[in-house]
Amino acid sequence: MQVKTWLAVAGALLAVLLVPPLLTPGADSGSTTQVRSLRVLVPNAPGGGYDITARTAAKAMEDAGLLRNTEVFNLPGAGGTVGLGRTVSERGNGKLVMSMGLGVVGSVYTNKSPSSLLDTTPIAKLIEEPDIVVVGKDSPYKTLGDLVTAWKANPGAVPVGGGSSPGGPDHLAAMLTAKAAGLTPKTVNYIPFDGGGELLASVLGGKVAFGVSGVGEYRDQIQAGTLRVLAVTGGKRIDGIDAPTLSESGVDVEFTNWRGVVAPPGISTADRDKLVDLFTALHKTPQWEEALRRNGWTDAFAPGEQFGSFLEEENKRVATVLKDLGLA
Amino acid sequence: MQQLLDGFATALTPTHLLFAAIGVLLGTAIGVLPGIGPAMAVALLLPITYGMEPTGAFIMFAGIYYGGMFGGSTTSILLNTPGESAAVVTAIEGNPMARKGRGPQALAAAAIGHFTGGIIGTILIVLLAPFVAKHAVDIGAPDFFAIMVLAFIAVTSVLGSSRIRGVASLLIGLTIGLVGLDQLTGQQRLTFGSLHLADGIDVVVVAVALFAVGEALWVAAHLRRKAFEPIPVGRPWLSRSDLKRTWKPWLRGPVIGFPFGAIPAGGAEIPTFLSYVTEKRLSKHKDEFGKGAIEGVAGPESTASASAAGTLVTMLTLGLPTTAVAAVMLAAFQQYGIQPGPLLFQRESELVWALIASLFIGLTLLLVLNLPLAPLWAKLLRIPRPYLYAGILFFASVGAYAVQADVFDLLVMFVIGLLGLGMRRYGLPVLPAIIGVILGPSAELQMRRALQLSDGSLTGLVNTPFSIVVYVIILMILLFPLIKRVAGRKTPPTPLPEPEKVDA
Amino acid sequence: MNTWLKERSELGMCLVLAALGVLVLTDTLRMSTDFAQRGPVGPKAVPLVVGGLLLVVAVLLARDVLRGGRGEAEGGEDIDLAAPADWRTVLLLCGAFLANAALIGVVGFPISGAILFWGAAYALGSRNLVRDPLIAAGMSVLTFLIFNNLLGVPLPGGPLMEVF
Repeated sequence: MQVKTWLAVAGALLAVLLVPPLLTPGADSGSTTQVRSLRVLVPNAPGGGYDITARTAAKAMEDAGLLRNTEVFNLPGAGGTVGLGRTVSERGNGKLVMSMGLGVVGSVYTNKSPSSLLDTTPIAKLIEEPDIVVVGKDSPYKTLGDLVTAWKANPGAVPVGGGSSPGGPDHLAAMLTAKAAGLTPKTVNYIPFDGGGELLASVLGGKVAFGVSGVGEYRDQIQAGTLRVLAVTGGKRIDGIDAPTLSESGVDVEFTNWRGVVAPPGISTADRDKLVDLFTALHKTPQWEEALRRNGWTDAFAPGEQFGSFLEEENKRVATVLKDLGLA
Repeated sequence: MQQLLDGFATALTPTHLLFAAIGVLLGTAIGVLPGIGPAMAVALLLPITYGMEPTGAFIMFAGIYYGGMFGGSTTSILLNTPGESAAVVTAIEGNPMARKGRGPQALAAAAIGHFTGGIIGTILIVLLAPFVAKHAVDIGAPDFFAIMVLAFIAVTSVLGSSRIRGVASLLIGLTIGLVGLDQLTGQQRLTFGSLHLADGIDVVVVAVALFAVGEALWVAAHLRRKAFEPIPVGRPWLSRSDLKRTWKPWLRGPVIGFPFGAIPAGGAEIPTFLSYVTEKRLSKHKDEFGKGAIEGVAGPESTASASAAGTLVTMLTLGLPTTAVAAVMLAAFQQYGIQPGPLLFQRESELVWALIASLFIGLTLLLVLNLPLAPLWAKLLRIPRPYLYAGILFFASVGAYAVQADVFDLLVMFVIGLLGLGMRRYGLPVLPAIIGVILGPSAELQMRRALQLSDGSLTGLVNTPFSIVVYVIILMILLFPLIKRVAGRKTPPTPLPEPEKVDA
Repeated sequence: MNTWLKERSELGMCLVLAALGVLVLTDTLRMSTDFAQRGPVGPKAVPLVVGGLLLVVAVLLARDVLRGGRGEAEGGEDIDLAAPADWRTVLLLCGAFLANAALIGVVGFPISGAILFWGAAYALGSRNLVRDPLIAAGMSVLTFLIFNNLLGVPLPGGPLMEVF
């Protein structure tokens, strides 16, 4: 009886200790120049923007033979700042990167996150997506000029819809546009929706005066003629969409939503160079080009240092806007 | 019609049938796992379909989707741990049924409800897609808010024997619902500076904590230490009287579920709750509600499934994802370079009709595969009580931890579980608290959004025909007892000495 | 005095409700007002109403209890209300749950999950010292493999993960 008990406990202990490591493919510790295994942290839920970017990039890297073993995992929460906190706490870990974008920059302020993106090691900016200023086909506004005139006359009566919460890309785009058009951001009647999809319904139904959102979910509606694009927020026009940029319409501002990858702080120069090289190599693969085309993403590659200074500027710009609004 | 037949021709090839069957099985298997709802199931299985041709991939997704939803209901019924928000309401009647040895009946009612709701919903997709596409976008914030007010009125019928305790429970739920960043202004509310609370507390976590953890603790306090008696597994199938009680709820489900799924931000939580309340009102067995009334399983399950079908309409015709699952599916479409939207039916008509045909097939497979399994599943409850409750706690913990890999979630679950223990001890019904968590945040959001759209004018709440209709209905419901009394008929014997009005 | 309180222990629930109310109200009033609010109803309105109602309900419930009203404890198939509350079992169960929470990051899920299962089963009266640990270990390892290896949802594996 006693012996049996001890045997059972010992068996159980052995099982819990040994089975998981034995059946899990181990992380290798080779010191070759090539990165062999990489973990990619996604700070939002499966299916979200950073998730799709990360999984697409991981797959392209594996297909192109740049990496043997990538593991993409999700750590969603608080607009990405929970994942950011984790990344910052993994100081020195050269085998982890986080997929992120402009949304995380704003979330750091709105969530009063203790860790900032400036704490991380920038690896590369990958893609960007301009926002569009869009109205329903029955809207009285034919051009951006019409809209700005009405907007300035009575900001409250011109509700703006966006697909992100305060501090998110659409919110920033709307506020920067307002500022450049000569409105005080605080007077803007911004209504956040849960993603571009929910906003789309309100734009189509004429519930909001106009919407500001990424172009992705809207292409089909634009082609069908149920939506009218008044302007694109980026520096260049978008292929297939007949609309001027904001600057061309006399509102002098440029804005794109972008996504990239960062690594934990304090990693060795060698590790950093390896990662930057890895993503530079990814950028050149046909698999990545194909992925860009299929997802309708604009290539906006910027490696290491370049991305770092870009990140700093964006951080400043976001902070200014949010301070105006009392959010930072 | 011809197109639909072509769709069936595409979907009925052996390969595609196999994909559908694999999808249904995988979906059910993963949906049963704690913490993994249909959205996550679809997202996690997305990589499997890399390299498959789109039609096959989407046929498989449809199977995973319905399978995942059904898997969520299974744990809801058997273990009182809802796997996803659409299955929360099912636990209320389903779990007591299972405890009485009527687990197979509850599972069968759920499976057939799922099937009926899904099939009717899919037929409605075929018939109404263009109509829905046109009118779904007309529903706006004031309309939503009117429906929420109606739902709050409906809460009064689930407050239980003591109104004051019911209201207390509702308020606890509303308080939990307040936690997180304010959606409209980004201000922190009850987060105490913690990032973990910034997104609020997920309703599934609250439901599992209140239902499962709270119950396990309460059982621990008063465990019946008599000779062990396994839960009887009665007859395996629905009896004639069961069928008599369930066919109407099955058919009523789609009426409530489909429109909710189709409108933006509709989702499944509110319609399943409304379905539950409706069935309770209409049932001839009102006294059984709360103790295992089969109508309370059949109606909400059918509603949830029809709402899922409604979701697909808006996604396919407008490119508009109204739930998390739809958002994941949309992402999957985009992976294949396909953009759902008004032009989809023209550009990819073969794929769309094959997908619709595969919904029918997926639902049928789900029924065929799961109905025989119901008695087997129900045998799970025959394991000894200590293992059963230990398993429930284990299951709840894995679910809370796995999603975010964060101990904090376990602590949140523990605290809410203790609250559930206290509520059970002092007769506070658990259901109003859950309803509070579901309704509170969306009611507030829609009200404030409506007021913002009208730039602060209160007329913004009643400026649509739809909202006016709903308010008139509400007035009629409120005034009906009064009118009845004035008309001089015999007064209904419902003396309610509590002075408080329930209009939280 | 002691029996008086014991019979009216539901007043504790009133205290919980009142405390929640105070918590909601203070949190709301401490919220900064320097933000861009549009429309007449800001982020404070609903919490103020909920917090206020919590206080009102706490008072009304207290009145009900003092007048002799009692909440009806929930019954159930496995619940024996005639027996006095067994707080030792509850504490053991809480211990098992919290042990999992405390240990999961240190010793990994397979071990902490097994402790949770065995601990909970032990607390609830199972004393089969051969079968219990084996079932607990089996459940825990199986769950780990399904989540971590099949689905790619990472769970901490334990101290030996890096050794092999």
